[in-house]
Amino acid sequence: MHSNRNFIVAYILLVGLPILGLVGILKTGRGKAAPISVDGTWTFQADPSRLAALPCGKSLTTSDLAISQSGGSFTLSVPNSPKSTASGVLVGTTLKASLLPPSSDDTDCVHGRELAFLATVDPIAIPRSLTGTISLTDCPTCKPVEFRAFRRAPAARGGH
Amino acid sequence: MPNLFLLVLQIAVVVAVCRIVGSLFRLIHQPRVVGEMFAGILLGPSFLGWMAPGVSAYLFPPNSLGFLNALSQVGVMIFMFLVGLGINPKELKSHGHAAVLTSHVSITAPFVLAAFLSLYLYPKLSDDSVAFSSFALFMGAAMSITAFPVLARILTERDLLGSRLGTIAIACAAVDDVTGWCILAYIVLLIRSAHSASPIWLTVGGLLGFALFMIYVVRLLLRRFQTIYERKGGLTENLLALMLLLVLSSALLTEWLGLHLLFGAFLMGAIMPKEAKFVRYIVDRFETIAITLLLPLFFAFTGLRTNFGLVNGPEMWMYTALIILVATAGKLGGSMIASWLAGMPLRESAGLGTLMNTRGLMELVILNIGLDIKVISPALFSMMVLMALFTTFMTTPVLEMICPDRILRARVANVSSHAPVSTMALESSDGSAA
Repeated sequence: MHSNRNFIVAYILLVGLPILGLVGILKTGRGKAAPISVDGTWTFQADPSRLAALPCGKSLTTSDLAISQSGGSFTLSVPNSPKSTASGVLVGTTLKASLLPPSSDDTDCVHGRELAFLATVDPIAIPRSLTGTISLTDCPTCKPVEFRAFRRAPAARGGH
Repeated sequence: MPNLFLLVLQIAVVVAVCRIVGSLFRLIHQPRVVGEMFAGILLGPSFLGWMAPGVSAYLFPPNSLGFLNALSQVGVMIFMFLVGLGINPKELKSHGHAAVLTSHVSITAPFVLAAFLSLYLYPKLSDDSVAFSSFALFMGAAMSITAFPVLARILTERDLLGSRLGTIAIACAAVDDVTGWCILAYIVLLIRSAHSASPIWLTVGGLLGFALFMIYVVRLLLRRFQTIYERKGGLTENLLALMLLLVLSSALLTEWLGLHLLFGAFLMGAIMPKEAKFVRYIVDRFETIAITLLLPLFFAFTGLRTNFGLVNGPEMWMYTALIILVATAGKLGGSMIASWLAGMPLRESAGLGTLMNTRGLMELVILNIGLDIKVISPALFSMMVLMALFTTFMTTPVLEMICPDRILRARVANVSSHAPVSTMALESSDGSAA
């Protein structure tokens, strides 16, 4: 009898109360905001002639971009070109990434130069869209190339 | 069409690396599965892709991974069938208050702590396409799982199966796994139904109907397998093929109903007859190919998805440390305190907590589901894989430190002179255990 009572008290304290705590945590968590989702495959649109004119820009003459997101950071890659990957950060609705282009026969694409992505995501647009520029670091005379991108394969993620 | 040469080459490399690394880990008294999990990481971008990117790109080009994944999923499906087969409800009922309290606390403590940690991690490692509740519940389920096949292996190696510690650990791990999979089923259902055309009540109703049909109709039919086995001393190839067909059908039905095929395979194993010799016979027939060939492919596929390069910077490593700390505090601490309050000596309680903290392959299965349904991000996936490796690796040395053999053997109680049925699944003679 005494043992049963102790068991019930221990069970309430160690199992019942934590479950109540879990309910409280789930309620509190509803107010938490996570970074905007940019994960997925994007259809990339930019003027090909302007991209080709940009040193190192030839590596981007593609119609696709893939973004793999982990919270406020992401990796950006050009499908079918595994060496073209960039790490970036997402602050608010602004994406920033630096891409080290793969070695190419582009003589202007000097080793060590990076392509800088700067874009803003439109959170309301369906499909989600990006508008931004691609520029070459350490090249003040190189004109940035404007681009747009539309998310083709939205992240089929959980719970919303 | 798959590139057959490349696929066979991939399988050969994966099996060879897993066997070698697994054997090396056996030398340091770790279960082979820990080495195989580690081997998978070695083959992925965190090591091979980093050390020899050319070799990695040749051996595992992204467009070839679909075939590797498909094969590995077949392996995990058979593994889950064997895990279900190893669970015996009768054993779960026979350990009194201590086991009930310990097993339930060993779920709720890590679950609640993980949900609490999610308040901090969600804004940093997730995004707005994932609801907080899905994220927190998934983290809870992932942290509260215990890999009872590994645990059973460790207990067998240390000759502790007949001890009070051993029997309670096995019972608690089985309860944890069943509960963990039920919670995961709920989360998967919640997430998939949000993107499904059919209403959730239809999916839930269908699944409930299916589960009841399996438990009350199919289970009775499955007894025929055991009857034939007892009469003839074995099953014909046709009957074994029929059994495999039932596993596949059950898996397909749960997938079709909107859950995941692994749940169907697990359920089919759970409702199979539990007579010890029959279970051993079935395990012997299915585990060789699953454990030596197909599961290494799963480890490799998991390794290929794990990129420690995403865990970059002190902040990300701090999150990883927090995850490991919370997972260990919740599982080890929770089980230890509960069993101590239930009357177990402190040293044995600490041993039980250490055993319950073993996550092994079960954790990798859950994490892969989480990544597939995108409830966790690639960086968080990598952190959680690190946690799974760390908590599984630490079990043997920590257990040896706090519960030396000489002390535990002296306390072997007359709980059972036989190994529980649940420990028979997935224990190969060479020391492998998944």
